[in-house]
Amino acid sequence: MEIIKTVGLTKNFKRFKKQAGMLGSIKGLIRREYEEKQAVGNLDLTIREGEFVGLIGPNGAGKTTLVKMLTGIIAPTCGSVSVLGYYPNNLEHEFKQQYSVVMGQKSQLFFELTVEDTLRLFKEIYGLPEEEYQSSKDYFVKLFQVQDLMNVQVRTLSLGERMKMELIAALLHNPKIIFLDEPTIGLDAVASKQIRGFLAEINERRGTTIILTSHYMEDIKALCKRSIVINHGCKIYDGDTEKLFERFQKFKKITFTFSEPTLLPNLEFEARILEQTPYKKVIMVPKENAAGLLRELMNLLPADITVEEEEIGTIVERIYREGGDGLA
Amino acid sequence: MDLRKYLEILKIFIKTQLAWRGDSVIQILFSLTKILFASLLWGTIFAGREEVAGFTLSSMMSYYIISSFLTQLDMSSKVSMEISQRIRNGTFSKYMVIPVNIQGYFVAMEMGMVLFHLIIYFITSVIWVFLFRIRFVFAPDPAILAGMGILILLGLFFMVQINYYLGLLTLKYEEIGLFLMIKDNLVAFVTGSIIPLTLLPERFLWIMKAFPFYYVTYLPSMLFIGRLKGELGMGLLVLSCWCVVLQAVIYVTWQNYRIKYDGVGI
Repeated sequence: MEIIKTVGLTKNFKRFKKQAGMLGSIKGLIRREYEEKQAVGNLDLTIREGEFVGLIGPNGAGKTTLVKMLTGIIAPTCGSVSVLGYYPNNLEHEFKQQYSVVMGQKSQLFFELTVEDTLRLFKEIYGLPEEEYQSSKDYFVKLFQVQDLMNVQVRTLSLGERMKMELIAALLHNPKIIFLDEPTIGLDAVASKQIRGFLAEINERRGTTIILTSHYMEDIKALCKRSIVINHGCKIYDGDTEKLFERFQKFKKITFTFSEPTLLPNLEFEARILEQTPYKKVIMVPKENAAGLLRELMNLLPADITVEEEEIGTIVERIYREGGDGLA
Repeated sequence: MDLRKYLEILKIFIKTQLAWRGDSVIQILFSLTKILFASLLWGTIFAGREEVAGFTLSSMMSYYIISSFLTQLDMSSKVSMEISQRIRNGTFSKYMVIPVNIQGYFVAMEMGMVLFHLIIYFITSVIWVFLFRIRFVFAPDPAILAGMGILILLGLFFMVQINYYLGLLTLKYEEIGLFLMIKDNLVAFVTGSIIPLTLLPERFLWIMKAFPFYYVTYLPSMLFIGRLKGELGMGLLVLSCWCVVLQAVIYVTWQNYRIKYDGVGI
């Protein structure tokens, strides 16, 4: 069943433009100049119930603007949008009762109070019966393993702990859709992995539709079967996540560190050396050659090896250049 | 409207106030300092005189205590600051995505803060009266005191409304510092919290009676000390009318400016 549908969804922002310097400031005072910027342009989108969809794109691509339109925070300039059968910007309580939004850099918690206090507030705001509230809270507290943190002041929690609490607050009323905007931003690898695990479980067990925006490849690859790539407000890929990375993620960045000064031999493969010091070599290699390079350089007895994926921006650029398969 | 959610919001803001012990103690001390200065000032003005503009020193001090009590009780300027700041930094969405009436949320927030401060200031005021041996003058008529109570509640609600409205103007004007400054100065002067309005020219008073601020602090304070009883009915009527009008203005403003919110910020 379709629960999100947009047709020709567009959002333009008007912004004040000013020349630099004092003269520019004075001119701006007398005569205001504005420019219009398209954040999202003519976007068609359909999402079905229970899907876990990744929204990918570089900074300023329009991902967050799209999420804001889908949640009713901002009104579209033109086009149509329907979420759970509602026009989001009407901000009807019945609609807001059925979704949740977690933005990595914005908090719903009260920093002076405990999480328990905030959850109780959310219980009343969403009109949850006591029994349902207790069972839902117990389920998430156990899942997120935060039993010991329920009665401490929110401001004393670490970033990872706080994000878990934000998720509990957002999931407490069992929403049909949850919008997650950069939920792992600033988190370390362990905390990010935990959060990913929780989200996967919620999607599978509860059938919650999840829309995730993230800069991190790991998040998208691990969680989203379907990915939508957005650049300059336009959709440039909509399809299977595995296929996306298979086709457009062409290189791996491999870092070798050595405990003794080591010379790099002539490489048999096509590779680009990004950094070379006696103790460290950073090499960019086509992903099909990564295994061969690793085998070859293992003979040099490296102290440590790191293999990294290409950055999301690079992939987006490549899709943009080559055109995206699977584009709806 | 499900009142339980607003009651929980009210409770959460009482809890928030209780989180800061030092802040509460400083507020009590600050209030005591204010009355000390007021007693010095009015003591000097009344030196060698029995009455000034129909006030004895006791009735003047009683007026000062009750009007400053009411002024401090009004926490509504936090409403406009909170809305304005959140709209400017893009976090106003916090209120837009939860199923509550946003104005109702702020009214409940104000009530939570007022209830907490009501207790603090009541204790402080009692200390003032005993410490400075003020012969406290107040109306003995329960009907007048009940009317005064309703007027105070209406006044507090009106102040939340006006601050909520000014906060919403950020959606259009982005910067509302000037509006807030005008409001603050107007309120400080016109509510009579600086000096009793009877000391001002008659014509000025007559104009003020058509506006709501006269009834927010000044009239309840005067009613409390047993004066201007005849104005209670008019006060209730004028203030109620202003609340209704402002509510309509808020509705129209929100419907029109809501779509201007761009959520740009952090």
